[in-house]
Amino acid sequence: MKALELSKEAKDQLAELEDLSDKAANGHKQARSELRRALRVSSPAVVAEASTLAKKGECVLIKTAAAGEPLMEEALLARLGLLRSEIAGPDPSPLELLLTEKIVAVWMLTELLELLLNAQLGDLPKSQRMSHRFLKFYLGWQEQAHRRLLSAIRELARVRRLESRIPNAQTNVQINVSKPDGD
Amino acid sequence: MSPYYYRSVWEGARVRKEYVGTGALGEVAAALDELKRRQREEEAGYWREERERLQRSAAFLQELEEAAQILTRAQLLVSGFHKRKGEWRRIRESA
Repeated sequence: MKALELSKEAKDQLAELEDLSDKAANGHKQARSELRRALRVSSPAVVAEASTLAKKGECVLIKTAAAGEPLMEEALLARLGLLRSEIAGPDPSPLELLLTEKIVAVWMLTELLELLLNAQLGDLPKSQRMSHRFLKFYLGWQEQAHRRLLSAIRELARVRRLESRIPNAQTNVQINVSKPDGD
Repeated sequence: MSPYYYRSVWEGARVRKEYVGTGALGEVAAALDELKRRQREEEAGYWREERERLQRSAAFLQELEEAAQILTRAQLLVSGFHKRKGEWRRIRESA
């Protein structure tokens, strides 16, 4: 299987954005405007390529999860489509689209790991059961996938909150209770 | 002279040699141990391949995460945010 990865051009563009971001974060005013220009020029293409990559990757995961069952494959594809539109919302920005793809892809990975683990819990012949070593690796991987999913959701929420300029959802309530007379 | 067969047994972090037998008995025990060893190797090979296959299937996530991270950071920086103590904050505009 050919490895799914971004093109060299996209990787170069990302490296340039990263470099300019570092400079902008360090207070170079010129870098900030250069970053804005670079982002405007390269962001749509990189986002489009990364989204295509995500969809291809999801298809690979779906095929592994469905294990050759066309109905299961279709159901998972439909579920991902639904999830994608629910998370992205009605009018997503390119960045929101990319973060949505990331959430959907990691969700698919967690589902796949769950499915494979559930299969192991059934009545399988000894020869098909995971070795203890593999199971240990597997559970670690599953835990990591859950962490990645939560972090991806948090990232999208953060971008939405910051871009919509809504302050942190924190409310401080102060209640003053006056002392009853005579006390 | 008939060959002796000793089986290696792990005891904690050490290997102990255990005398099994000599002659036909030793040969049968050696053949059985060899068979078990090959079965274990085959099993380990199968799970190793399975692990590599899964890792290859999910390798694209790494690329996707890196791209998303770089683009998110760049987008927030040009939108007037900066990271302070691990938190993204809006840069205050000077009066």
